[in-house]
Amino acid sequence: MHVQKTEAVMAEARITASPWSRLTAAPAWAGLSLLVWAVLPYTREGRRFLPLDYAYHAVAMGPGAHWLLAVAALAVLLLYLAGPALGLAPRRRGDLAFVTAGLGALIPAAGLLYAGVPFGWGAMLGILGMVVAAGAALSDGGRVRGDAFVGASILLMLLFVTLFITVPLVMVMRSAVWIDGTFTLVQFARTFASPLFLFVDNPYTEVAEGARVGMLGGIGAVLGLASGVRVSRRRTGLRRAGAVLLWLLGGAIAGWALGIMIWGRGALPSTLLVALIVAPSATMLGFVLALLGQRTQSRAVRGVLGVASVLPFITPPFVIGFSMIFLFGRRGLVTFDILGIPPAMNPIYGIVGVSFAQILGLAPVAYLIIRGSLNSLNPALEEAATTLGSSRWRVFRDITWPLVRPGIAASLLLASIESISDFGTPLVLGGDRNFLATEVFLALTGRYSQPEAAVYGVVLLSLVGLIFIGSRIMLGVKGFTTVTGKPASGAFLRLPKGLEAGLTALALVWFGLIAALYLAIFYGSFVRIWGINNTLTVQHYIDFWQQGWPTVWTTVKLSFYSAVPAMMIGGLIAYLVTRHRFYGRGYLEFGSLLSFATPGTVMGLAYILAFNDGALLMTGTSAIIVLALVFRNMPVAIRASISGLSQIDRSLEEASATLKAGSGITMVKVLAPLLIYPLLAGLIFAFVSAMTAVSQVIFLVGAGNNLATVLLLSWVEQGRLGRAAAMASVLILGLLALILLLLVVSRRVDARNRKKGKPA
Amino acid sequence: MRMGEGNAPAAVVLRRVLKSFGTGAPAVDTINLDIAPGELVTLLGPSGCGKTTTLRMIAGLEEPTAGSITIGDEDVTHLPAEKRDVTMVFQSYALFPHMNVFENVAYGLKVARRPRPEIAARVAEALDLVGLGAYADRSVDALSGGQQQRVALARALVMKPRVILFDEPLSNLDAKLRLRVRAEIRALQRRLGLTAVYVTHDQEEALAISDRVVVMKSGRIEQIGTPRDLYTRPATRFVADFIGSANILPGTWDGAQVFLDGIGFAHAQEDLAPGPVSVVLRPESLRPGPSGLPATVAAISFLGASTQVDLETAAGPVTALLPDAAAAGLETGQQTRLDIAGGGMHLLAGGEDAPQAAPT
Repeated sequence: MHVQKTEAVMAEARITASPWSRLTAAPAWAGLSLLVWAVLPYTREGRRFLPLDYAYHAVAMGPGAHWLLAVAALAVLLLYLAGPALGLAPRRRGDLAFVTAGLGALIPAAGLLYAGVPFGWGAMLGILGMVVAAGAALSDGGRVRGDAFVGASILLMLLFVTLFITVPLVMVMRSAVWIDGTFTLVQFARTFASPLFLFVDNPYTEVAEGARVGMLGGIGAVLGLASGVRVSRRRTGLRRAGAVLLWLLGGAIAGWALGIMIWGRGALPSTLLVALIVAPSATMLGFVLALLGQRTQSRAVRGVLGVASVLPFITPPFVIGFSMIFLFGRRGLVTFDILGIPPAMNPIYGIVGVSFAQILGLAPVAYLIIRGSLNSLNPALEEAATTLGSSRWRVFRDITWPLVRPGIAASLLLASIESISDFGTPLVLGGDRNFLATEVFLALTGRYSQPEAAVYGVVLLSLVGLIFIGSRIMLGVKGFTTVTGKPASGAFLRLPKGLEAGLTALALVWFGLIAALYLAIFYGSFVRIWGINNTLTVQHYIDFWQQGWPTVWTTVKLSFYSAVPAMMIGGLIAYLVTRHRFYGRGYLEFGSLLSFATPGTVMGLAYILAFNDGALLMTGTSAIIVLALVFRNMPVAIRASISGLSQIDRSLEEASATLKAGSGITMVKVLAPLLIYPLLAGLIFAFVSAMTAVSQVIFLVGAGNNLATVLLLSWVEQGRLGRAAAMASVLILGLLALILLLLVVSRRVDARNRKKGKPA
Repeated sequence: MRMGEGNAPAAVVLRRVLKSFGTGAPAVDTINLDIAPGELVTLLGPSGCGKTTTLRMIAGLEEPTAGSITIGDEDVTHLPAEKRDVTMVFQSYALFPHMNVFENVAYGLKVARRPRPEIAARVAEALDLVGLGAYADRSVDALSGGQQQRVALARALVMKPRVILFDEPLSNLDAKLRLRVRAEIRALQRRLGLTAVYVTHDQEEALAISDRVVVMKSGRIEQIGTPRDLYTRPATRFVADFIGSANILPGTWDGAQVFLDGIGFAHAQEDLAPGPVSVVLRPESLRPGPSGLPATVAAISFLGASTQVDLETAAGPVTALLPDAAAAGLETGQQTRLDIAGGGMHLLAGGEDAPQAAPT
């Protein structure tokens, strides 16, 4: 009590200096909210954000208790401006202002949601202003350790993650079980029974699939029994019997599941089979390439690996798939012209083609992850093992491999999630196979069944969740951040000569294949009809210029609009979670993980479900595309910023604080200049991923705002491969130029830093 | 904002300040501390004793779990760092690597939106004060450790804070430079009349630089006093052991004499009840002579300015630090007697197993 009193007296003494000094962050933002409420239309009609419709403002003042916003804003202003006259201690006043501003944001928002009237600029900005005021008040009340900037940022980020990640995903789940106003699992039952989802015994084939699956289950059971008996030798009696039974059951289920994947049809087994093939293959390939890249003496090999590792990021995800049609398709250069495989015998459409394209696309991702964990290895460990008499193979087996295992696990995790989420490749190369990610799309746009799409969405989400949980339990993977590490100095052991030669050959074959695929795209963009009429032409580029360029330009603009906030929000979340402790911190991290791991089609579906009507109506606008891309690509910016922030000594911020800088100023003047390179990298990667995104935006595009990749995909589907190749060439070369620019800039920055010497 | 012209140095008062990080023992356990205006007080203790946490609470970088902190007449307990008239010199210096020397020192004034000519004048003055007037345009990366340290000092001084804090500012400097910079810091602090709180784990540094020293252990204050007080009249075994080096022997006190191994030595000490005591003997106060405690020479090490002699006595092993002349005749294995020079002895209540027995 005594403390509070003196505090109040002191605060009074401080603020009598100038009446303006009472206008701190909380009342200032409340005042802005009041202003916005007064001059901007509170609601809007239909989808249009612009022009501002004042007529509608007057008519539709009714819904959503809008006047509460004004009352609450006034109350907050009064609380601060009346100042000492109220006799409130600053902390009490902060708490009071937080509650007032919070209610002033919540109730009007709930009112609009309930009435189903779309937010206008007035409601949107007014409520955001009140949220900021509430956050500032939170810090005034001492509930958040940090100033108004931190308090407001925390509330805003929690709001954004909830509104644009959590709510849409909840809508997917709701839509799967809430049909025509009642809770029902009928759509789950219908979907699971559908041959599109799972289909084992095909009466039209001569093969008895069911019997084979059963047989494989039996073999699995026998193998399980055998291993169970061996493994449980140390146990006795009932415990041993139980263990053996578990092994038997596990073996039976594994064999049975494998059988269904091999002989069964439908989206579930196909998706799982591809993931089961792709994740280990891509990881294996990535691992040997990483090992080679780290230890080879050959500059050429290093260069090749460096270039190849950025290609997947700048290539729209299905482009490798469609260039495979050029090379290995039914009339492909290799399969038809060279090998002479008859078109009907070509296995490219289906499991083989999809797996192959995904392995090629994901190997570089695996390479980067495993390279990171190899680089964080301390070479002294290997040297120590050598001096203790280990051979190179022994060193690899006992030292290198165990220490790289977390990277391998992270790569397996990421590759299987990406494989399951992949939408473009199955759409192009899937043939008569169904896949989960494409079924979401086909159910919604082909069969017009929103609940069915939602069920597929829930299945995908559960699979990703299971993989995450499984990897955490079995492999101890804690997330993707564990794989970043400081590179250590010193020299690694060279690979045994024969092995190095073998790996180099493998890398060259791999790179040759990739080069051929990309060259096929470029070449394909200049021939009239691939494989049929090989005369050279620029007609495809003319077509592209006339019919595709406006879309590409729109895409560039929207991608840029999304990349800037993605970087800022990502940087801010990174700052908050690394530098502050607050309630909801884990939720922010989980939300960003969720948006990263959710398959793109599911996120797209979620946005359709959440923003298609009522107060949040946004579908059909460019705004929803930008928002989808912002929150999709934000996790990349978060990770870039977190690794950047971890390099900055915290005492720099503390020094800035003791020199009277608030955290906003510290961010702008100290952190941002030091983080400029990670932030720039985050910006460019957010831009590039926005440019190449397909699955998350395919539902969201409309006539006026089609996106380049979506148009490209539709050209591929229509068989206009030449024109598609022309557009893909332009996109790839443009984005490659951007990435190279980034590399040059970063090299220059590095060189300058090195010249300056090490920072203190 | 009160900063700017002519800030008077302020008193700092900590009342029942407690800080705990989650579960476990508190990092700082209910301490009271009064720092007078213009005084340099050092917080001294082994690592983990809570001295840095205490300093950071004064700075506003940590918030106390309980208790209050007052600077001048203002209760700042819950004020964040940027709202206090306090600056700090960091152990790592925390110089902004993307700014040059001038920009680093000017940073706080720029944040406070002082007029440009005032900034230029005050930065120049601060840099002159630390002897770096010619280095304003240098990149901070191009400076030596000692120079970086001075930039950090200038950056803190230029704000004319009411209190300036030092967090082990010398620990990244080599031994000789440390002595020089420490003298400079003390001279500046005296000249400018600053209230300063200084954290170190180096007891010699603490004795040399401070008006008063606060010895801390496990989050609590063991003793507060002038360097001389702490050295000659340690309150606990821990302080006796931590400040300088000490021989601590069991003895008996009868109010006028202290008995070691049955041999009486005259001693005067108030407020101490007769009974078993721990006798603190400073090594430099011991002299071999015809009378005193019987001892056997165990080892002799020549240190240059003096000679260290390790001896065995019935009361326990004893180390003596002798002028070379006094050590001249001694040989290993020789029997001798140890006399105690006046003022070199201090008694602590309780014997060998007293509760305050210090861990090493």
